[in-house]
Amino acid sequence: MSGPETIAAAPSFRRSPWRHPSLIIGGIIVALIVTAALVSLVWTPHPPTKLNIPSRLQGPSATFWLGTDHFGRDVFSMLMVGARNSLAVGIVAVSIGAVFGVLLGTASAARSGSWLDEAIMRTADFTFAFPAVLSAVMITALAGPGVVNAIIAIGIYNIPIFARLTRSGALQVWSRDYVMAARAAGKTAAQITMRHVIPNIAGLIIVQATIQFATAILAEAGLSYLGLGTQPPNPSWGRMLFEAQTTMQRQPLLAIFPGLTIVVAVLGCNLLGDGLRDVLDPRVNRSRS
Amino acid sequence: MTKKSLPFLAFAALIAAAPGALAQNRDAAVLCMTLEPPILDPTAGAAQAIKEVTYNNVFETLVSIDSASKLQPRLAENWVLAPDNVTYTFKLKSGVKFHDGAEFTSADVKFSFERAVAPNSKNAQKASFTPIETITTPDPLTVVIKLKQPTARFLEGIAIGDASIVSEKSAATNETRPVGTGGYRYVDWRRGDRLIYTRNEAYWGRKPAIKDVSYRFIADAQAQFAAIQAGDCDAITNFGAYESVDALRKNPALKVMVGSTEGETMLAINNAKAPFNDLRVRRALAHAIDRKAVIEGAMNGVGVPIGSHFSPAHPAYVDLTGAVPYDPAKAKALLREAGFPNGFSTTLRLPPPPYARRSGEVIAAMLGEVGIKVSIEPVEFPQWLERVFRNKEYDLSIIAHTEPLDVGNYARTDYYWGYNNADFQAMNTRANAEMDEAKRFQIYRDMQKKILDDQVNVFLFMLPKTTVAKKDLEGMWQNWPIPVSPASELSWK
Amino acid sequence: MLSFILRRVAALALTLCVTAAVIFIVLEILPGDPAAVMMGVNATPENVAAIRAEYGLDRPAVERFLTWIGGLLTGDLGLSYTYRVPISSLIAERAQVTLPLAAMAVMLSASIGIPLGTLAAAKANTRTDSLVMGISQLGLAVPNFWFGILLVLLFAVTLGWFPAGGFPGWGAGVLAGIKTLILPAVALALPQSAILARLTRSAVLEALQEDFVRTARAKGLSWPATLRKHVLRNALVPVVTILGLQFSVLVAGAIIIENVFSLPGLGRLMFQSIAQHDIIVVKDLVVLFAALVVFMNFIVDVAYGIIDPRLRRT
Repeated sequence: MSGPETIAAAPSFRRSPWRHPSLIIGGIIVALIVTAALVSLVWTPHPPTKLNIPSRLQGPSATFWLGTDHFGRDVFSMLMVGARNSLAVGIVAVSIGAVFGVLLGTASAARSGSWLDEAIMRTADFTFAFPAVLSAVMITALAGPGVVNAIIAIGIYNIPIFARLTRSGALQVWSRDYVMAARAAGKTAAQITMRHVIPNIAGLIIVQATIQFATAILAEAGLSYLGLGTQPPNPSWGRMLFEAQTTMQRQPLLAIFPGLTIVVAVLGCNLLGDGLRDVLDPRVNRSRS
Repeated sequence: MTKKSLPFLAFAALIAAAPGALAQNRDAAVLCMTLEPPILDPTAGAAQAIKEVTYNNVFETLVSIDSASKLQPRLAENWVLAPDNVTYTFKLKSGVKFHDGAEFTSADVKFSFERAVAPNSKNAQKASFTPIETITTPDPLTVVIKLKQPTARFLEGIAIGDASIVSEKSAATNETRPVGTGGYRYVDWRRGDRLIYTRNEAYWGRKPAIKDVSYRFIADAQAQFAAIQAGDCDAITNFGAYESVDALRKNPALKVMVGSTEGETMLAINNAKAPFNDLRVRRALAHAIDRKAVIEGAMNGVGVPIGSHFSPAHPAYVDLTGAVPYDPAKAKALLREAGFPNGFSTTLRLPPPPYARRSGEVIAAMLGEVGIKVSIEPVEFPQWLERVFRNKEYDLSIIAHTEPLDVGNYARTDYYWGYNNADFQAMNTRANAEMDEAKRFQIYRDMQKKILDDQVNVFLFMLPKTTVAKKDLEGMWQNWPIPVSPASELSWK
Repeated sequence: MLSFILRRVAALALTLCVTAAVIFIVLEILPGDPAAVMMGVNATPENVAAIRAEYGLDRPAVERFLTWIGGLLTGDLGLSYTYRVPISSLIAERAQVTLPLAAMAVMLSASIGIPLGTLAAAKANTRTDSLVMGISQLGLAVPNFWFGILLVLLFAVTLGWFPAGGFPGWGAGVLAGIKTLILPAVALALPQSAILARLTRSAVLEALQEDFVRTARAKGLSWPATLRKHVLRNALVPVVTILGLQFSVLVAGAIIIENVFSLPGLGRLMFQSIAQHDIIVVKDLVVLFAALVVFMNFIVDVAYGIIDPRLRRT
């Protein structure tokens, strides 16, 4: 849990999305990255994994927009495919976290104060003690490095974040009058959860998912940098940074472009998340790791 | 701040860094290397790093190998091989003392070698000592070693770090507090960072020129680069970031020497496993790989190509690099012939060193061009040892075999290549027993050709040794007949 | 209150026991025989057997687990397979790097984040606010290892002001030691200070809404004095809590940052031990780490319980 961060939004910040620059900027950045990732499925300026040893370590040119790496691969094409990789890792890992987290969080809230609640929350505390990098290092030791294991590690790390958020959001819903009424009318906890709790906390979850998406991109980059994430020949932003380190003296730009790409992508997701929160629900508590 | 400094960084990184301007302390030297030894007893572990830091520093051998790959007397004054070809008589140096003050005598030699072959021995090169039948010590300065049968390379076997002479008194604690006869004694070891030696003022031989020597362990090549540019290292024993070598060459305070090792680097093939049990498939792999491009792409062009498992530095070397040329069309034809018109899928397990990981990426792409879909699987060294080396659970791998003259491994039927050829095994037995050098070398030539005829593996290049040192530091080994860096040979100009 | 603390202590002990068991089970099924690893490619079966016997690897798992737990409780962490020295001394040595590094990073991020956040809150919805929040957005987005690489490029390789990595040991002088830790601490502190700035801003804004602040202002207390006496004191509670909870993030960051700067710290020890398959060291480190984090959570929980009795229920 990284604590309650209450956003005290100025009263003028409401309703119209066009009044929120972070939503606009974040949205544009994310859209650009998603577009690049989708386009890379059918087209890249050069084949992203094709080695071209004679033209290795070139600077930016008309042929190679951002230059080439130590194997002569086109950096721009690799960044495009890397976007696909980062997005895929982010989507899967955050989905794992959100699905399990919401399940556990709603269950916990529905049985608030019971042994189940206690067990779920203690396990969440415990899991949260292991940041993605740490659990990934352990999973790697166990099952070998690879993007799947990285996704699992990041996903596990996300579960307690969503579980806690869901629980606190759901508890609020449970305390509302109409829920009390529904309970009195004999509705089961599952029915109430489906009918009232989940629709009410959906906005909260979406906002958090956007922000966790950004941390997932960062975590994947870090793991791939350590050699524990995406494996060659699949391009990954973090791996590109790792590889650029040995060639940095000859081609420093190789260490610049992937880093900038990560910054822009993470920034975009965070801005989008902030903007969405302002629009969807300006008063919610949120947590960020 | 990040935003502002980026364009500047890109520009600034292009400018050669200013060398450290501090006055050189001529009584000290810091040697930087990649891997840290796990322990400091060269007779109780396999890690090359143990030998690199202890050989001819703390510990000495009867006979030692010099930087030109020649055998030199060390703790043995001289030796004679009797006409029976199995009895060696060593005369030992007198007045030699261990660092704890104990006298070095023939009993220490007997103890060391018998300990090395004992059932509970942890010696990684036990095979060097198994030819020994008896060791007798007629007097404190004479050792007579009788072998079971003539063994051509017995002396080479006892010239390596694993044959270091230890004292019975300190043998048990050498792993963490090494006590030897050498020119340097152990002071301290900050694990994860550095090992500190000081000169043995009571040394029996020529005193080392530099008093305080430390070995610093920097796993990351980029950090090594930064450390030597900043003057934190006086030398790097084997620099791994090949693309950065040019930048180091431009630094007027440094010198760069590119030399050779005994490390034959190869695409190892599991010969026992389908489809690689078919010679045509193995030959197709060889035709599909452009050795030059591998060396260019993975090693920045540094590395001598080899066509078989043999060091070009050895007099018995035969140049077979042209025998199976790069020819993707032929590779495809061979695959078709072997029943794989559309290629097949396979995995390539790669250990951590950069030469393996990077060559692996290049080779996977090249094999892809002829239709072989290679999935790369990086493994840590423990897993590599367990799965590839011991359990032979692999299709392809990339590794350098760094022991000198290790072509005899192809006669080991249980070895991880799964190569089992009676003709080759017979050749190896003959070579081991052949005491006449010219005849033995002829057998070595035949062995090189035989393993290429059978295309046991695809042979790539010799692993280079790139030494970077401050201009006025003398005595770094340019080549690595064995991978050691004796500080006792260093001096400041 | 007492029963609340007792319940927490029981939960703490239980968590640690479960952690130890899980870690043992998980790591015991790792592929790769540590004994074989130590002897390398030329090991004979006798070599390996000799090592197994020396380290007790040939005994049953339950016996090994009990020996390990017993050792943990008595402070005997066992012997490292690779280094063959007591792990407690290994960890003590490495902690001398990681703990000062973490402390420097925390201090740095607090001294950047808290003032910036306060400033932004004090000038809420002005251009200063937007600027600070914009910078903190950027800080959140920069991967710390990349920032580390850039710092090395600029300050070590190009300008030569700081060493590029490595650690001379505190024996070489406190100043020399601190100098080597500055760049890594900055790299580690950057995202933390961004988080702190944002948290501080919200906490201060929230405190500003409180009645007592308005009262103080109405009584004629100056703005800086109000900020100092009332607002910050209240806002700091959540901020300090976060500082404590960020500990685990910092240690995880240290695994990467210590690799970038080749610092012989705990993070690197963890990374190396896994690569070298030094299971005992990994087990001890993970348990130690889990214990620290769980203990931090415990302190925070108890502190919250003391501050706000309503929270004692769970």
